[in-house]
Amino acid sequence: MDIELIKFMFMLTTISLYFNVAISLYGVVSKTNLVKKLIALTIFQDTVNMFTILIGYKLWRPGLLLQPPVLTDLSPTSETLREFVERSVDPLPQAFVLTAVVIGLAVTLFLTTIILHVSYHFKTVNVDEIGRSKRVYIHEEAV
Amino acid sequence: MMDYVDLVFLIMGISALSSVLFTFLTVKTKDLMYAVVFSSVQSVAYALIYFLLLAPDIVLVYVAVSVGIYPLIVILLVKKVGRYEVVT
Repeated sequence: MDIELIKFMFMLTTISLYFNVAISLYGVVSKTNLVKKLIALTIFQDTVNMFTILIGYKLWRPGLLLQPPVLTDLSPTSETLREFVERSVDPLPQAFVLTAVVIGLAVTLFLTTIILHVSYHFKTVNVDEIGRSKRVYIHEEAV
Repeated sequence: MMDYVDLVFLIMGISALSSVLFTFLTVKTKDLMYAVVFSSVQSVAYALIYFLLLAPDIVLVYVAVSVGIYPLIVILLVKKVGRYEVVT
């Protein structure tokens, strides 16, 4: 068990998630196509879920072997319970993320419907062209 | 000397790096169909990280949602609105 390698790889994972946040936020802000914005937004959402999971993670030190967070003893004593609490990861962020994934699917479906209606109404999904046609419409009404 | 824990963290770091690469390709490409495919490959890398972070219950939901249902919806949307991103 190489502590330096483990620390480096964990740091690499965290920094990669920060890079993912940066790239996907750039995609949400800078791209003009609405579908591209939607795809970048889902990547951003998954990355935030990953940060929540990283909060609850715990590397079990004494026995070196990563075991699943399951108590296999049918009649646990306080000693086995203490050992189990030491080696198991935190299940609360996992429950939150499990809810957030399903709600994220519902939000994605809602945004998909909105983009489809925008496409039917304006005949395009480019936000620059949509803004230009709305400006022309307002100008014609004013004249 | 490679250990089991070393291998777990090595795979985690490599899949995190590949997820950065595929996020960049998703934002970079002009073809929306390729963007959907790159996004789902990035989701596979995330599912592997979820599994290695000892959250297998999320993998069960996340793979079905993010590799199955979500590209299906977006591919249907891309079929409706047009495949290529127009640069103005």
